[in-house]
Amino acid sequence: MSGKRITLQQAAEIVKDGSSLTFSGFTIWRRPFALVFELIRQGRKGLHLIEVNGGPQTEFLVGAGCVDIWESCWVGHELYGKYGANLSRKVGRGEIIVEDYSHAEMLFRFTAAACGAPYAVTQTSLGTDIHNPDFDMLGRAGLRDGKRVAKHKYVFTEDPFFGAGSQVLVPAAKVDVAILCVQQVGEEGTVRVNGQFYSDPEVARAADITIVMAEEIVPEEYLRRDADRNSIASFEVDYILECPFGAHPTGMFGRYDVDGGFLKDFYAKTRTQEGFDDFAKEWIHGHDHMSYLEKLGWPRMLDLKANTALNYSTGGKRGQS
Amino acid sequence: MDKAFANPEEYGLADLLCCAASREVQDHEVVFAGTGLPMVAIMLAQKTHAPSLKLIFEAGTLDGRPPELPTSVGDARCEMGASRSSGLHDAFSIAQRGYVDLGFLGGAEVDQYGNVNTTCIGDYLAPELRLTGSGGNPDINSFAKRTVFIMVHEKRRFTEKVSYITSPGWQVKKWPGGETVPRRELYGAAYRGGPSAVISTAGVFRFDEETGRIYLDTCHAGNTPEQIREMCQFDLDISRVSGETLPPTREELHLIHNVLDPDQIFIPKVKPKGS
Repeated sequence: MSGKRITLQQAAEIVKDGSSLTFSGFTIWRRPFALVFELIRQGRKGLHLIEVNGGPQTEFLVGAGCVDIWESCWVGHELYGKYGANLSRKVGRGEIIVEDYSHAEMLFRFTAAACGAPYAVTQTSLGTDIHNPDFDMLGRAGLRDGKRVAKHKYVFTEDPFFGAGSQVLVPAAKVDVAILCVQQVGEEGTVRVNGQFYSDPEVARAADITIVMAEEIVPEEYLRRDADRNSIASFEVDYILECPFGAHPTGMFGRYDVDGGFLKDFYAKTRTQEGFDDFAKEWIHGHDHMSYLEKLGWPRMLDLKANTALNYSTGGKRGQS
Repeated sequence: MDKAFANPEEYGLADLLCCAASREVQDHEVVFAGTGLPMVAIMLAQKTHAPSLKLIFEAGTLDGRPPELPTSVGDARCEMGASRSSGLHDAFSIAQRGYVDLGFLGGAEVDQYGNVNTTCIGDYLAPELRLTGSGGNPDINSFAKRTVFIMVHEKRRFTEKVSYITSPGWQVKKWPGGETVPRRELYGAAYRGGPSAVISTAGVFRFDEETGRIYLDTCHAGNTPEQIREMCQFDLDISRVSGETLPPTREELHLIHNVLDPDQIFIPKVKPKGS
């Protein structure tokens, strides 16, 4: 047994006030919710979220007042809530700094960080206000120190090699901690993601510290029998923990679907700060992961449980009707 | 299967939009899908006139043939039957490399040059309403040969000037100065195309190849060109209207409601009269 195994509480303590933080998953899939809830319980402050794309995890952390800076491209709940009401409220009040990049730019920023390059080059989003220098919000706030936060939001240049015209340089996404939520991790840290792996390999490699919470911790030997099916190598992972149903209310390929009803309810009830505080009181504070699952109850969880042949749930109602 | 056009009482507006979007797809094209009605439209094309289209889901599924409708592009349903299931790096690298023919996108506001806003309403630095942000909208729009926008038609949305250019149209800004320049000039060697159509809840719009200005192509049943012009803040060109938007066929309606979206996730069923 390696020394990588920690508890949910210990994992949350690794994320300090003011840390920069990123996550596995994509919009409403495979977000490390049990740990997000624990960060809220522990009252973490001043977080700098840098996300390829946002989602419910962004909304919970922002609503709880844990976040000072959000750098990303999108936040919402897909079908279950059309925008991020908590982020929107805090932007309106000037209580949070939002730095907008495009989706591909965010991905390329993590790709650069993951291969140790200071920046990436791309041709996306030319001509948009995303590149408007007046909208460099970290610059306006005087936070571009050239250390963890890049000196510039963008650098515009011309292709020096092939004369291909306008190019945009985007800074590497330097993050302190990445928290992943996956199906399986081995005792030494080998990760096996089933289904689309989104940008998990890039964010794991980009971060200084990578924490993996998994539905199950499995013997390394089992994963190493089919190394070609593994997604992230053991030594890229610093800490591991086992946390079944840890992504709820987001979904996990092959294990359980998105809890659309939960997200809809969250979106409807958290338009105001009071609404958020009440929701957090009901579902987060005074709970641990097991009492949260108990509150959800077996019938609801079985409804979400994926069919093992199809990898998604055949129970429950997905539609609006 | 009944390829006859359905009567007006047999379908709703969402059916009409879905079929109009589906008909923008040509067989063998590589099509990039975002979440929502476009997924139904593309899968409808896959089951009718474009069986060899290649579907890419933004979250990382390549050449997908989902047997059941995904509710989002990250959904586990995306990858069953796909050529490859991977991640965003593949999806965006493939797009930037130039493989993508067509992308479907949405927007909160559009101007007469096809610049689209999904970021905020009002001044960016003190917005009246912060929206979702760009997502992959500008990326797909920068990389694909054609993009089609599907939008709710309201006068405030078809605006003289969008609050924020999230996604580039045919006349864009050249930074750091911010001068307005033609898209082709700014994109240079990376130029592949741009917005080719807007399908709104009132009609179908296209863009002049020379000027990049929007014009009305077809009106959905019940709308006149003059009425639609009234529903735009800019002066809409209605001199090139080719007729009425073709209604769904009975085969398309059967596929939408009995095969693709029986649970009415994105496309509601019309209620029979009198119910």
